[in-house]
Amino acid sequence: MIRTRRTARRLLAVAGFGVAGALVLSACSADTSSPDATAAPDWEYTAQTAAPSGDIDSFSWVSYSEPYSLDYAYAFDYADNQVLSNVCESLLRLNPDYTLSPGLAEAFEHPTPETWVYTIRDGVTFHDGTPLTAADVVASMSRHLDPQVGSSWYSVYQNVAAIEQTGDRQVTVTMNQADSQFNLAMGGSAGVVESAATLAEKGADYGNSSGLVNCTGPFELSEWQSGESVTLTRYDGYWDESLRAKAGEVEILFMTDANARVNALKSGEVDGSWMIPTDAIAQLQSSGKGDMYFGLNTAVGSLIVSNLEGPLGDERVRKALTMAMDRQGILDAAAKGYGEVTDVLTTESVWVGASDAAMKEAFDGLEEYPYDVEAAKKLIDEAGVAGEEIVIATAPISNDFAVISQGAAAAAQSIGLEATIETVSPSAYTALFSDPTAREGIDLFYTSWYLSSPDPLEMYGVLRTDEFSNYGNWSDPEFDALVNEAVAIDDPAARSEVTAQAQRIANEQLPWLPLFQGPMTLFLGDRVTGVAPSVAFLYYPWAATIGSR
Amino acid sequence: MIAVRRIAGKLGGLLLTLFLASVLVFFSRFLVPDDPVAFLLRGRKPSPEAVAQITAQYGLDLPPWQQYLIWVAGLLQGDLGRSLQYRQDVTVVLGERLPVTLGLVVMAGTMIAVVGLIAGAIAALHRGRLADRSILIGLTVLGAIPSFVGSIVLIAVFAVQLGWFPSFGSGEGFWDTVYHLVLPSIALAIVFVVLVGKVTRSSMIDQLDREHVEVAISRGIKRGTVIRRHVFRNAVGPILTVSGMLVAGLLVASSIVEAAFGLAGIGSLLVQSVDRLDFPVVQAIVLLVVTAFVLVNAVIDVLEPWIDPRSAAGAGAR
Repeated sequence: MIRTRRTARRLLAVAGFGVAGALVLSACSADTSSPDATAAPDWEYTAQTAAPSGDIDSFSWVSYSEPYSLDYAYAFDYADNQVLSNVCESLLRLNPDYTLSPGLAEAFEHPTPETWVYTIRDGVTFHDGTPLTAADVVASMSRHLDPQVGSSWYSVYQNVAAIEQTGDRQVTVTMNQADSQFNLAMGGSAGVVESAATLAEKGADYGNSSGLVNCTGPFELSEWQSGESVTLTRYDGYWDESLRAKAGEVEILFMTDANARVNALKSGEVDGSWMIPTDAIAQLQSSGKGDMYFGLNTAVGSLIVSNLEGPLGDERVRKALTMAMDRQGILDAAAKGYGEVTDVLTTESVWVGASDAAMKEAFDGLEEYPYDVEAAKKLIDEAGVAGEEIVIATAPISNDFAVISQGAAAAAQSIGLEATIETVSPSAYTALFSDPTAREGIDLFYTSWYLSSPDPLEMYGVLRTDEFSNYGNWSDPEFDALVNEAVAIDDPAARSEVTAQAQRIANEQLPWLPLFQGPMTLFLGDRVTGVAPSVAFLYYPWAATIGSR
Repeated sequence: MIAVRRIAGKLGGLLLTLFLASVLVFFSRFLVPDDPVAFLLRGRKPSPEAVAQITAQYGLDLPPWQQYLIWVAGLLQGDLGRSLQYRQDVTVVLGERLPVTLGLVVMAGTMIAVVGLIAGAIAALHRGRLADRSILIGLTVLGAIPSFVGSIVLIAVFAVQLGWFPSFGSGEGFWDTVYHLVLPSIALAIVFVVLVGKVTRSSMIDQLDREHVEVAISRGIKRGTVIRRHVFRNAVGPILTVSGMLVAGLLVASSIVEAAFGLAGIGSLLVQSVDRLDFPVVQAIVLLVVTAFVLVNAVIDVLEPWIDPRSAAGAGAR
């Protein structure tokens, strides 16, 4: 639930020759549109693209990276999950509008605050034809607790005491403490069910390019050509008629180079892609080979304050730095203006089931940090930190990393702080998110942090005292108490009201400095249609709904 | 006899080189400050026992010398270890990607040899004239085009604009693969053509100036025969030496071209694995490249006296 370096990962390969490439390409191609760099781009949210006219034999897709693994226990990134979401299913289903509905569990109950009881759906078969049983569910979930496996989703299971079969089609999960977040995570990879027999048979090769997987989704993973592509084939025995795959076959290609990806789309060789580099959007729109769409996202770009011992330990300095940054200008330069400046760390899209009162508390009358260098300078004088140094980490990952680190450094200089940009390798940058020693001497680093469950509490849970991803060790007892209280509340509306108070505290104290949020981008070639452009593609079988235009 | 002793000596040197390379390749990874386990976590919150288990599974808890011995013992049995990022045997990962890179290197190598030799020979035979000058300028211009620029231009023109060639992928089956590798091979060959071309030219000019060539021509032996028998055959030595060095260069430079054309070869795998701290894969590829380089040069060393008897007998026999 930390997703973030996925942005790092995603953009990684772009680093090599992204900039030079873009220059040459725009010179060579007949790109007549030269949008004014300062004008805000014209775009709107789309919930669903046009319905397909019918089935299609096959279509192709391109991903920025090869999955690390298709073992659900390690599927923790855009690249892994955008493939796996079509092949493997979870107990619950995360829909494109970020609501949860029944999945492989046709119902769930919550008889006591510490227990979750799942009724396993009847009539579901794995791709090898064997029926889904409660024993498969127990075996699949128990892997997250097995240290030999070392699951990426362990944090979801950290309060789990037992996972037991308690009936013919019933599985009961017992927790050490009330935890509303556990069930919410069952719509993601943490809730995936695999055949127990397959897990035992494949062993260490489960989920790699020769072991493959055997799940229940609308597509079967039929081939993984290492380094090149995966092929998904329609599963004819799929249980849910409403999500029966419209395509007989889907080929998902991996291209780490952003130019290669954009070229493949522009030349019509590939039918679509998620997450289009923002500097290629105009090119693709004018290519005549398909359409750009913008959809629901949960990611917020922000600067993580990773050292509260330095000048940023003073709340006034964090406020001053936020005000000294021309965040709209940074957004324009880093993401071509696709998005909007924000003062909080969640998007409205994850506040599913929130009450009106909570939405008001969470988003109305927030502390704002308008671009005001003079006011910021005053705060710096009050704090008495003029001349002190902050270090901003960045990596040659993509243009936005450079723009944001330079923007933050310039802002710090403009208010009398010394700012140093420390450029590290992409892998060292990734390590900032998991290795405290890697963060030593670093005050700030950029992240684009997304949530994978329909609850803003996933974000604020991270900022509690002593949490693994509370990188600056920020601590506020009132905030901790609110978040802990909210975690134990099952009713989403009541929970949202407490979470909203926590969001206000984060908005006022700025443990991380929120910058902007942007839409999920999607390009669909002119052969295909029928998909919801939403970040839920990580867990929802998006490819199943795509058919012929 | 001399030849046998010569080859045995070469073989001993070769094994020593490979041993030293393996030590260097293996232990250099400990100079990298980053912790592969921290990287494997990719920012997610692990259970403390899981961290210990993962560390043990990959043998990362053992002292380096022990890790080295295990690695070498594995190497000798054809086991290159297990990739951290793919959770799969390195031999499988490499096996899937080696054919692409080999295809690319062979095609590019052929283009380099053919174009370089012809251009160099024509230039040498027309020394100082228009043909020579235009070939020299042409080669210099080509040599100044980095592979990534070449890739971008080739894709933009021949794949995106004209649509003659695919812009990515390595194809399936022999002819489809050749078709897919045409543009990448050209992109890879461009920089190296200049080397072979220039060495061929200067090496042939060197021979043309030799006394015995002048004598031969003055005696009325046909120019074509002289060039074939004396000039070209004697000029081959330096060209072969340069070609041997090109092999390593091609293997390394292919990473850039592979990335640009979305080819799943070992070059792009190397770059990716370095970034992801996937040491077993990095070590295997580096060792592979070193081995290929050493072997090719050893073969050239052994072959040279067959082609050019003078180098076996030593320079004194001139």
